[in-house]
Amino acid sequence: MTPITRKHLPRRTLLKGMGAGVALPFLDAMTPAFAAAGQGASPARLAFVYVPNGIIPSDWTPKGAGRDFELSRILRPLAPFRDDLLVLSGLAHHNANALQDGAGDHARAAACFLTGVHPKKTAGADIKNGISADQIVAQKLASETRLPSLELGCEDSRTVGNCDSGYSCAYTNSIAWRGPQTPLPPEINPRLAFERLFGAEDVPLDPEARARRARERRSILDAVGARTRELMATLGPGDRRKLDEYQQGIRDIERQIERAEKDGRDIRPTMEKPEGIPVLFADYVKLMYDLQVAAFQADLTRVTTMMVGREGSLQTYPEIGVNDPHHPLTHHRNNAEWIEKVAKINVFHMELFAHFVARLKTTPDGDGSLLDHSMVVYGSAISDGDKHTHEDLPVLLAGRGDGSLKTGRHLVYAKETPMTNLYLSLLDKMGVHPESIGDSTGRVEHLSEV
Amino acid sequence: MVLPSLVTLALAGLAAEPAHVANAPSAGAFEATVKPFLAQRCAVCHNPQVKSGGLDLAAYATPESITRDPHTWDNALVKMKTGQMPPPGFPQPAASEVQAITDWIESEFARADEMAPPNPGRVTARRLNRAEYDNTIRDLLAVDLRPADDFPQDDTGYGFDNIGDVLSLSPALMEKYMTAASKVSRAALFGPDAPKPSLARLTPRTGSVPSSTVPLFDYDQTGLSLPNALYATHRFPVDGDYTIRVVPGGTRPLGSEPVKIAVWIDGRQVKVLEIDPAGVATFELDHQELFGTQGEFRTRVTAGEHTLAASVLRLYEGLPASYGGPNPSKRPVPQVPEFKPREGLPPERVEAIRRRVEARRAEKKPVNAARVSRLDVIGPYEPATGPKEASLRKVYVCGHLRGGHGSGCAKRIVASLARQAYRRPVTARDTAPLLRLFTSVRKGGASFEDATALALQAVLVSPDFLFRIEGDGEAGTAGAAHAIGPYELASRLSYFLWSSMPDEELLRCAERNTLRKPEVLAAQVRRMLADGKAQAFVEGFAGQWLQFRGLESASPDRERYPDFDNNLRLSMRRETELFFESLVREDRSILDLIDAKYSFMNERLARHYGIPWVKGPEFRRVDLTGTERGGVITQASVLTVSSYATRTSPVLRGKWVLENVLNAPPPDPPAGVPRLDEATVGASASMRQQMEAHRTNPTCASCHVRMDPLGFGLENYDAIGAWRTQDGKFPIDPAGALPDGRSFHGPEELKAILKQDRDAFAQGLTEKLLTYALGRGLERYDKKTVRAIAGRLPARDYRFSALVLEIVSSLPFQMRKGERSPS
Repeated sequence: MTPITRKHLPRRTLLKGMGAGVALPFLDAMTPAFAAAGQGASPARLAFVYVPNGIIPSDWTPKGAGRDFELSRILRPLAPFRDDLLVLSGLAHHNANALQDGAGDHARAAACFLTGVHPKKTAGADIKNGISADQIVAQKLASETRLPSLELGCEDSRTVGNCDSGYSCAYTNSIAWRGPQTPLPPEINPRLAFERLFGAEDVPLDPEARARRARERRSILDAVGARTRELMATLGPGDRRKLDEYQQGIRDIERQIERAEKDGRDIRPTMEKPEGIPVLFADYVKLMYDLQVAAFQADLTRVTTMMVGREGSLQTYPEIGVNDPHHPLTHHRNNAEWIEKVAKINVFHMELFAHFVARLKTTPDGDGSLLDHSMVVYGSAISDGDKHTHEDLPVLLAGRGDGSLKTGRHLVYAKETPMTNLYLSLLDKMGVHPESIGDSTGRVEHLSEV
Repeated sequence: MVLPSLVTLALAGLAAEPAHVANAPSAGAFEATVKPFLAQRCAVCHNPQVKSGGLDLAAYATPESITRDPHTWDNALVKMKTGQMPPPGFPQPAASEVQAITDWIESEFARADEMAPPNPGRVTARRLNRAEYDNTIRDLLAVDLRPADDFPQDDTGYGFDNIGDVLSLSPALMEKYMTAASKVSRAALFGPDAPKPSLARLTPRTGSVPSSTVPLFDYDQTGLSLPNALYATHRFPVDGDYTIRVVPGGTRPLGSEPVKIAVWIDGRQVKVLEIDPAGVATFELDHQELFGTQGEFRTRVTAGEHTLAASVLRLYEGLPASYGGPNPSKRPVPQVPEFKPREGLPPERVEAIRRRVEARRAEKKPVNAARVSRLDVIGPYEPATGPKEASLRKVYVCGHLRGGHGSGCAKRIVASLARQAYRRPVTARDTAPLLRLFTSVRKGGASFEDATALALQAVLVSPDFLFRIEGDGEAGTAGAAHAIGPYELASRLSYFLWSSMPDEELLRCAERNTLRKPEVLAAQVRRMLADGKAQAFVEGFAGQWLQFRGLESASPDRERYPDFDNNLRLSMRRETELFFESLVREDRSILDLIDAKYSFMNERLARHYGIPWVKGPEFRRVDLTGTERGGVITQASVLTVSSYATRTSPVLRGKWVLENVLNAPPPDPPAGVPRLDEATVGASASMRQQMEAHRTNPTCASCHVRMDPLGFGLENYDAIGAWRTQDGKFPIDPAGALPDGRSFHGPEELKAILKQDRDAFAQGLTEKLLTYALGRGLERYDKKTVRAIAGRLPARDYRFSALVLEIVSSLPFQMRKGERSPS
């Protein structure tokens, strides 16, 4: 059921607001309905959110299956969106296991999460993983949007040497892999991520201030333009070539101002430009989620990945009273106090994710909300952090995938069902149909039917 | 009395023929030696029918025909000198035969160069590079915002990033100029925009701490020289309060007292934090775990870049008394909970585990493992607001700093800003558009200050500000070589020595047109070199010539060079900076660069060099007599940037010496040359054996026979410049011989040889400095200038000031070729 609270913005309204015959690439990108000419539907979006160091399994797995399931402690922050969710139990990443490679479950988990491949154990330059599910989609849809994909993270990376028992840091720094040797490290600075999406322009201004500023900029350019023409006349060819570059730059800015004025529509980003990394972790993570919402809303990309933390994360969470670093705590050896701290972190991460889901749900998109057209996978490639297990992984799927998902259920798959089977099914819904991903054995069932 | 102007001097100096150049073409030698050689050895391929490589020697029947075509014959010279021609497989002439030919060609070229009419060359309009932009904004408006941090990296050419032809201006950069102009002018008039508080995590590279269970009594108690400290540089956006959070790491023995961690800003201790690791969550109950603890404090910091350091104070104090260290802990050592075996294990297994656990607990723990692993800077809070008095003074020249501007003020303000920003007198043509802009926004209701800010923005995006454009003078002289104007000369001087705009004194000299009087110019150069702004010259020139700028991105292999930490990196750079600065400030001989027996270091760097008597974190001058150090090629900065991450490279170092000391850069290697098999170096064969195998290939040998021995002479310094006598299992053999037969053993003897070639060195340094001073690559017609300058240095004891004065008095620095004059 579509909730009646949803803000509905019919396509016609959007069209009315547009000047006829304008063909600015950016504006086209802003309005997916318009870009997908004739189809009328919004494009599907795919996002992956990774949380490190596993979870407390007993606090994750819901009781009951199908429609009649009870949200667990960790999942409870998602209660308002229960009908937009699928909780998926039983999935596994076999290739994150040691398979005679010894220690290094954290590195393998991160590397394997989206590739389903057993990464080569090496600390050196000969790293080898597989192509990640998000990148399979990104490469297919590269021409559709300004950015093929967006990789974000909330923990800085150590770039040199070993990160986990003889594995290169590349394996723990990135979950997105363009190819077996090409990790795509996440951007962790929200300001730079914003600038990648929307350019390095200053904070957005109100229309009046923008118009005034455009006028001022134009009069500045007028003043220097006259002088430049005068100067050009006195220069030899060598110097003139240099000043040509300058004039070209001036003209480009003039044209931008002109375009913005003629057009009259508000194409500014839907969020303020971030200054840097917020002090509070919660603010930081929410900001990184907001950037993804903004990117989807403007249809700047259709694929995002987000690492809430790196595997082996030593993040402390003083905001929720957990002052110990995350990873050592997860090796709790059944110490009840430590288990409680880990569970608190798990819940905290989920509360932050709920912010993302809420933002997607309240953001109008085409004939519905962004959440309607999205598929957001949340999970980890470690289930029990204490034992480093890679089966029965914590996985959930938020969003309705353009109506193709029958949400509001807890699906329990046979033990050891490859996680990559889920990816194959999701990629089908993105209109990309690879034969296999990593260790996949087929598609998962029941996503679309009850 | 009217003194001869420097232009006449510059021209006169060049007119004098150096003694070693003959006056008439040696046609006799051409007929007797060159022609027969070419006919016998070369014409078999390079004839009108075959024209191998496009070369037909039939066209070169006279000496003049050769000197008229330097492009072809420069190329031929390289081919012959490096043994590429005649090619392998053809009868090879004797070396002396080849040398006779190449000597003749070279001396013919030298003669032709000297006979050519003086040509000062023409410098292309130079866009301010990032450093110049920042410094100019700072000096123009007393605003130290470093807006160019957001600009894209400047491209370099001829080894420097101030080359007019190479510096381009993309539309994206133009956008950034617009943004920066608005930001800067608002900061000057209304104060900087206060950024929201944000978090910066500083995790610079730290070194490994060799674990020890024995406390020391004699060590650096500030901890600043120990690898346990963390060093970082951070740019604080505005004056304001900042929270600095220290995240320690490592362990202490159980029962130790809390650690004291000191935080230092620019070498000054600003805070001591006490951190008690007792009771932090840990698996191992038999020691204190510092991980997971942290401490923080808030302090006021001024805007700009600062060096932050955090160190463990009195590292070996406060340990349990059983360790026997100084000033031991007064805490009781807590009882470790008794070992409890898991139930259900067989008794013999329980016993084995118990014995293991007890043995482990009885073991002494490392006493020096406490360290600082991260610094966070959070802020700004309560940032300074409002404009700086100094900025207002620079702008409001009428004297009304806080309002009450009179009607004539706008005109004066705009004229004064434009004059300084354009670095020349301004006319109504310059100021009229600015005033129109001012008036029109004023009419639109803007305040006087807002209107001023807008006019200032226009000034800052004007081509007259962003570029240094030199005019072609009066229409009548536009075609000929002419002296640059006095203001242009002032700008050349200030951007050469300060990387910034001329100050008021230079502008006044230009106004009175006195800068061409030799004694005025000399006095100005001395004044400028003594000014703090000359630091930009050390960083800009020496940083690129000696490449210590590259240290920032150097990342020696962690496993092989675990000692390399950020402190060492910063110390290496500081040494070379201070050393070069001392040369400039004390006006020493440039030959000191080769072998001065002094340098600058702190304890950290001295320990790296194995010099035990330098104690404490501050830099000081150190006498190097009796050490293996002295001169830039023995400084760790140069040795590190001329190495690979995992090993030294005699080739890179040899190339470095050829380029920067001997002024004989080798040509690029031919394509398809097999690489040195790095994995086997130090394992199956020594570096030298490997390299020598490499040189059996004749194509390689011609250059490597010059390059490699120079590098081998420096093999006693490892890839981060530490002294060594072994490489892996092979002893270092620092002996070598140059193709001319001179041989050496070790760096001292190598330096002695290099110093014999002081003419080459002086000429090379002159070329580099002239390139940097002019902002253009040198051409054949500049050779005369370079030779003349270098030739006059011995009589002036090679003093640095003599070199700089020669450069700023030289033809290409003082003059400019007209666009239409013959080349």
